[in-house]
Amino acid sequence: MSANTKNGLKIPAWLKRREWLLVVLVVLTYLFFNSQAPSIYTFPKLLNQTRVYMVDVGFMAMGILLVLILGDIDISVASIAALSATVMSVTYNAGKGIPFGLSIILMLLVGAACGLVNGLLITKFKELFPMIITLATSTLYRGIAYIILKDQSAGSFPSWFARDLGYGSINILGLEFPIMLLCLLGFIPFYHVWLHHTVSGRYLFAVGTNLTASRYSGLKTDRIKLTAFVVNAMFAAVGGFFLTSRTGSVKYTIGTGFEMQAIAVAILGGASTSGGKGSVPGLLLALILLTALKNGLMLLYNDAFILNLAVGLLLILVVLIPNITSSLNARRNVRRQRMSLAKT
Amino acid sequence: MSQIKARDSRLKRFLRQRETGLVLVIIALIALVSLRNPNFSSLSNLQFILGDTSIMIVLALGMMCVLLVGSIDISISGIMALGAMTAGIVMKNNLVQPEAADALRTSTPLILLILISMGVGALCGAINGLLISYGKVLPIVATLGMQYIIYGTSHVISGGQAVYRKDMSEAFIQFTRGSFLGLNSKVWIMLAAFIILYLFITYTKAGRHLYAVGSNREAAQMSGIKPETATLNAHIIMGALAGLAGMMYASHDNKVTQDMAMGYEMYVIAACVIGGVSVTGGSGKILGVLLGALTIGVINNGLTMLRLTGNSEFWKKAIQGAVILIAVVTNVLISRGHRRRVLRERRI
Repeated sequence: MSANTKNGLKIPAWLKRREWLLVVLVVLTYLFFNSQAPSIYTFPKLLNQTRVYMVDVGFMAMGILLVLILGDIDISVASIAALSATVMSVTYNAGKGIPFGLSIILMLLVGAACGLVNGLLITKFKELFPMIITLATSTLYRGIAYIILKDQSAGSFPSWFARDLGYGSINILGLEFPIMLLCLLGFIPFYHVWLHHTVSGRYLFAVGTNLTASRYSGLKTDRIKLTAFVVNAMFAAVGGFFLTSRTGSVKYTIGTGFEMQAIAVAILGGASTSGGKGSVPGLLLALILLTALKNGLMLLYNDAFILNLAVGLLLILVVLIPNITSSLNARRNVRRQRMSLAKT
Repeated sequence: MSQIKARDSRLKRFLRQRETGLVLVIIALIALVSLRNPNFSSLSNLQFILGDTSIMIVLALGMMCVLLVGSIDISISGIMALGAMTAGIVMKNNLVQPEAADALRTSTPLILLILISMGVGALCGAINGLLISYGKVLPIVATLGMQYIIYGTSHVISGGQAVYRKDMSEAFIQFTRGSFLGLNSKVWIMLAAFIILYLFITYTKAGRHLYAVGSNREAAQMSGIKPETATLNAHIIMGALAGLAGMMYASHDNKVTQDMAMGYEMYVIAACVIGGVSVTGGSGKILGVLLGALTIGVINNGLTMLRLTGNSEFWKKAIQGAVILIAVVTNVLISRGHRRRVLRERRI
């Protein structure tokens, strides 16, 4: 407090938010790669690449965010996406004239069922941590996808799915926006309002911040957890839906490793695995940052490992820097208090 | 407590130990698989399983230390790859004796290679530990990020090139192929690691500090233990053991690739959980970890030997997750029953 009055200027709380760090990083990343490769790294091209780096991971990250807010973790999202996409493509291609809409509903139901299994195991067996359970179910779900598809891949979808959704774009103000991206951007405001401004959304934060206190104040914590895992799995299924429309076919290996990317996005956006934290604007900014970074690195090096290295560094730095600055601040405050005590 | 002890016979107490239960489970699994494939319980196959599981046991020993202090490490497969890759590059390019004749190429002493790999592993572990204890980054986040970074580094230093058998020294190839008293050299390495770690964790101050910090961090700090140091130590041990395991894995496979051992950490964590290590820290026995890893080894090998269909690898891949899940859940049910019985006996 004394520091603020001494300097004569008080930084408002909304300027201290973590999101500004992400905004600065996004701008820096864009400027850096734009100067490195001015002809191929431009805003319209970046916009076109969002379908590769942003949409499917974005939906998975939105699901993961709910689980992370509760203080749990789910490593099986990529496998859920693979299994539900497998079910969708296999039922549609079964040749019995199943309409595609029904296949999509089946896909969502399979996703929800996977989430229900996860949630039930996690709420019934509290000694086993979500990490262990979802590690095991992740192998299980991908194994089921493997049983269904074997080593084959399932393709042939309606043209609106494979062509328009996967590769189509709409011209807005002279810029080509991929339809996928518009789906994501159109959904995020609703998600934001639900998570941050409705009672059921705030319950998640309450349970994640203090489980015991929430239970004593009358929240059905187990049911909230169960619901969060089901919703998370349905988000994962939607992620698998967009992934399939982009790749045009399904194999059982589809989306391998996406769970870590989705977790990384949520954590970059301000979530914490110890629960109670997370924000939708942060998540969106983290997605934009990763898209800008990955696209640039891919253009410069064309190497998935270097890309992962950069993502890892970014993940650690973004978590580490606020920790270090806050602990330095705390230490400075203690020293200042000691000095003022010594004076009196 | 003394009353219970007096009433229970020694045999009964022995039977109620978790380790006894695990041994029974392992024997039951072996018997079940043998019904279908009698070769499974042959001495040579059991020796093979023990040798095959040794790598996992070495890793699980390290993971136990990390879990004991209430931390976790999911970057171990990356550390294995980076350690083995560094040693492999030293071996391939003959960095130690560059002037040696062509016939003497790849003649870097084996012990030096192992030390290099373990050193690289310990360094990675130290970075993990520093991030977690001093940087206050959550263990899952820190090691997840490190996983990406370590695999990336392994790719960068190797330039995308794998190290194959032709570039390996004979000593390195034989490293996991020798045998002594009928047991594979991997088993002896594992036993050595087991004994050293047992002594460390039971009889040294630093080892007991791991338990103290994990079971009650504040109390440990009040009584003069530095939790940061304990966490750092645990991660350094984990890293060094992962480096060792990486060498064993590479020598066993005859090749070092940049993405070696991806996904191995899952089995290691599952082995620890089955062996009775608590993921929140503070409790776990080293013998339990050994038996937990053996259980997973028997399951993995048994699924292959069952030959449920012509293509056995197929079913193995498909039902592995289910089997591990069942093992872990059964484990919880048993320990719940145990706790309930203890409570009932105390009430009387």
